[in-house]
Amino acid sequence: MPLHLNLLHEEIYEQRQRQRDPLKLGMYVLAAAGVMMFAWYSWNAYETLEIKSRLGTVERDWSKIEPRVTAAQKRSAELNGIVSTTKVLDGMIDSRFFWAPFLEKVSRCVAPNAQLTSLDGTADDTKGVAVSIEGVASGREPRAAAEDLRQMLLDQLGQTYKDVKVEFKTLEDLDTLANVAGANMPMARFILAVDFNPYSNASKAAAPARARAPKHEEKQAD
Amino acid sequence: MRALQNMKKSKLTKDQLQKLMLSAMGFVVLVYVYFAFFLGPLNRSRAQMLAKMNELQEKIGSSKSEMNKASKLEQQAGTATSRFDVFKNLSPEGAPIAWFPPRMKLFFSNYNIEKVTARLDSSSPFKDPELAAWMRYNWVIEMPQTDFITLGNAVAALENSEPLLALTHVNIKALADAPQFQQATLSASTTLVKR
Repeated sequence: MPLHLNLLHEEIYEQRQRQRDPLKLGMYVLAAAGVMMFAWYSWNAYETLEIKSRLGTVERDWSKIEPRVTAAQKRSAELNGIVSTTKVLDGMIDSRFFWAPFLEKVSRCVAPNAQLTSLDGTADDTKGVAVSIEGVASGREPRAAAEDLRQMLLDQLGQTYKDVKVEFKTLEDLDTLANVAGANMPMARFILAVDFNPYSNASKAAAPARARAPKHEEKQAD
Repeated sequence: MRALQNMKKSKLTKDQLQKLMLSAMGFVVLVYVYFAFFLGPLNRSRAQMLAKMNELQEKIGSSKSEMNKASKLEQQAGTATSRFDVFKNLSPEGAPIAWFPPRMKLFFSNYNIEKVTARLDSSSPFKDPELAAWMRYNWVIEMPQTDFITLGNAVAALENSEPLLALTHVNIKALADAPQFQQATLSASTTLVKR
C-alpha cells in the first residue's frame, strides 16, 4: 500500500472551514431571499404604477364630468323644490273657498218680503264654513216667510256644498209693521246659522267648476 | 448543500453558532423591513387607489343616469316651472305692506267701491318645508260703503285674479241710515314670496 503524504492538509482544512462558514452561507441565503423579495416588490410596484395610471385616467374623466353632474344634481334639487312647492300652492288654491258663488246663492234666496241686515261668515280649512245671517221677514205670517228663506237656503246651498245645516238661532216677532206693496204687514226678526263643508269629496270633484263660477257670475251680473 | 451536510455532520463551533444566530437575526430583520417599509405601504397604497378608482367609476356610471334624470325632470317640470314663475310674479318687489293696500284700493275702485282701506293684521311663515321661501300675510280690507251686488262682483273678480289670496272671513252689514248700502269687512290671507 503506497503511502500518501498530504502536505497541504492545513490549507485544505482552512479552505473547508471557509466553505462552511455559517455567516457566509447565511449571507448567501439572505442575498437570495433579498433578490426574490426585490423581484416580488418590483412586480407589485409595476402593478401599482399601472393602477395609478388607470386611476389618473379615471380621475381625468371624472374631473371632466363632475361640473356637469354637480350642475345637474343642483338643477334636479331645484326642480324638485319647484315641483313640490307648486304642488302645495296648487293644493292651497284648489282648497280655497270661493265666497262669490255663495253670496250669489244667498242673494237668489232672498225674497222681496225678506231683508238681510247682516252676514258674517268664516271659512276654515278644517271646520268648514260657518255663516251667521241676520235679517227681517214680513208678511201675513212673517215666521213662515223666514222659514221659506231657511228652506230656500238649505235647498240652494245643498246643491253645491255638503253637510249643509241651516238653523234658526233666533226667530222673534217684532212690534213694528212693514209696508209691503201698500199693505202693512207684521215683521219677524231672525238669525240663521248656516254651516256646511265645502271641502268634502263631492265638492272637491266640483272644485274646478266652482273656481270658474265667479267669472260666470260676473257675466250674469253684467 | 454539501457544505450544509458537512456542517450537520461536524459539530458547530461556538463561533459558527454565533454567526448562524446573527444570520437568522439578519433574515428576520430583512423580512420585517421588507414587509413593514416596502411591501406593506405599497399594498396599502394600491388598495387605496383601487378603492378610489372603483368609487370614481361608480360615480361616473351613476352620473350618466343622474344627468339623464335631470334632463327628463327638466322636460316634465316645464309646466310646474312656468306656474311657479307665475306665482312668484304675483309678489312684486318690496314690502307687501307698501304695495298691497294701494293695490286693493285700486282694485275695488275699479268696481266703484271707494274709500277702501287694507291693513296688515298678521304675518307668519309656513310650517311646510316646501313653502320655506313663502310667507302668509293676513289682511283686513274694509269697505265703508258698497252694495251687495257690486261687492259680489268685486269679490268674484278678486278671487279669480288673485289665486294666492283666500278670503277667510266676510262681514257685511246694512248701514243704519242707508239700508240700500252695506258696510263690508273682508279678511284675506295671501301667500307671498319672502322678500
